[in-house]
Amino acid sequence: MKRSRAVSLGILGAAAFGLAACQQEEQTDAAAFPDVESCMAAAAQNGWFTREDCTTTFAEAQAVHSETAPRYESQELCEQEHGAGACGGDPAAATGGGGGSIFMPLLAGYLIGQALGGGRAMAQPVVPKAGGGFATPNGGTQLSRLNSTGKMGTTAFAKGPTTAGQPPMSRAAVASRGGFGGSAAARSVGS
Amino acid sequence: MDRIPLPERPDWRAKAAELGFTFADMHGEPYWDETSAYSFTLDEVEGRIEDPCTELHAMCREAVGTVLADESLMDRMGLPRLRWDFIKDSWEAGEPEVYGRFDLAYDGKGPAKLLEYNADTPTSLYESASFQWLWYEDQLAARVLPEGSDQFNRLHEALVERFAEIFPPDTDLHFAAMAGAPEDYATVETMAWAAREAGMGAHYTDLEKIGISEEGQFTDSEDRVIGTLFKLYPWEDLFADEFSAHLASAQCRFIEPPWKALLSNKAILPVLWQLFPGHPNLLPSFFADDTKGLADAAHLMLGGHVTKPIFSREGASVTITAQGRVLERATNREYDRHPMIVQAYQPLPVMGGMRPVIGAWVVGETCVGMGLREDRALITQDLSRFKPHFIEG
Repeated sequence: MKRSRAVSLGILGAAAFGLAACQQEEQTDAAAFPDVESCMAAAAQNGWFTREDCTTTFAEAQAVHSETAPRYESQELCEQEHGAGACGGDPAAATGGGGGSIFMPLLAGYLIGQALGGGRAMAQPVVPKAGGGFATPNGGTQLSRLNSTGKMGTTAFAKGPTTAGQPPMSRAAVASRGGFGGSAAARSVGS
Repeated sequence: MDRIPLPERPDWRAKAAELGFTFADMHGEPYWDETSAYSFTLDEVEGRIEDPCTELHAMCREAVGTVLADESLMDRMGLPRLRWDFIKDSWEAGEPEVYGRFDLAYDGKGPAKLLEYNADTPTSLYESASFQWLWYEDQLAARVLPEGSDQFNRLHEALVERFAEIFPPDTDLHFAAMAGAPEDYATVETMAWAAREAGMGAHYTDLEKIGISEEGQFTDSEDRVIGTLFKLYPWEDLFADEFSAHLASAQCRFIEPPWKALLSNKAILPVLWQLFPGHPNLLPSFFADDTKGLADAAHLMLGGHVTKPIFSREGASVTITAQGRVLERATNREYDRHPMIVQAYQPLPVMGGMRPVIGAWVVGETCVGMGLREDRALITQDLSRFKPHFIEG
């Protein structure tokens, strides 16, 4: 026989890769809001979260933001990543008197997600990105705009690593990206 | 070799959609087309495609050694001198190749002729290894194809074996393609499935999201260090990119290895002809500025000639000339600025009004399968259709 006995058949899309291995990531209902008021206004039309969920998830997003937002050693570096006017000093560093300044992006809004199998709605803060759009603190999930609803992978709600109390990122630590791909002549580069 | 009309599987579009084969139609035209299939005899597959392509790959390996030992030939490859050592080191270290695809002109009568070797970034892997295989199994089960028939397609199994052979178990491999090209992504994911089946960890990153760490190592979109990178992106483009200065020092192993930059390069075709003149599977080929070589070979080019840029994808910037007249000129001229080679024109056979090109897949150093694409035009371009094949019982 000159053919394979068995072959993997599917192309499942990028979610099939990596830590999730062969399983496609579970999707859930999600919504993004700039503030509690916008969330409350939308709660009526969306069956899966209440006005109360808007308040509790916002409080949670604020706390998670304080704990996991990326920290930078300069305002300039922070603004390079998150845009002009999008950064402020780290309040925790200021009160802790740890010496030196730390800067972090301001909270731009939050994600609210339906917990699979019931339970409290999930929360995740979002911060602005330089050049437009928004991202979760670890950059893993990106949004083009707030005041939007849709399906989202549940990993978008996983809490990122704690950055509060950690040394801020220097210019060198902010990974330089985008150094590949510039020379492609066509959209599809295969042959 | 024959082109035989066959009933389509009634549910193939639903299957394609379910499996994520989203580009079965492209640019509003069918890309996967099973209204007919190409048939071959077993002797033909083995004697005309399989064995010659295994031999061609061995000849290509010999040509790599020749080019690396000769600065004037290296100069012909159009690759930056700064990266020559990087290429040479990968060859001398014996960095193993994984896959490649020979494109062949074959008419069922004479020997198959090598048009070019897609040795670095071949695509259509999903269609060849997976969807074509499923077509065969379905048509066999439906008795559209008889018991005792077969398909030349050990591609998937051979890839699994190859990954297991060249990497220790549980090696983390990264797979990268440019974002937004589903046909490229399908090839990358097919490769990743095979790696995973071989016991490797497979991680995807968009090529554009690759970063560089403080220590000078490449990182993926989640800042994990990349130890081994399968990149569906041509070496000549990597060499021109901003990060090229880091390639040699990033402690990263690449698939395909850097020396494949010499084989995916059409400048290798004149080198092969110099090394193996008159080989039955080679077409006479010369560098375009080799006026003496071309003049001496005029009697070999009576049927016409084709000019091709040394770097080109999907037929771009190719021109076919015969009897002093341009027969066909690719409309996409993006590669015009590159050095050119001239190859004797080998017309593709016309079957059912279409011109098929055979894609013979090499995994490791062995030819293990094939897939065909056909086009109405003389130059097979990105609107060509993928066609399944079978071996008669």
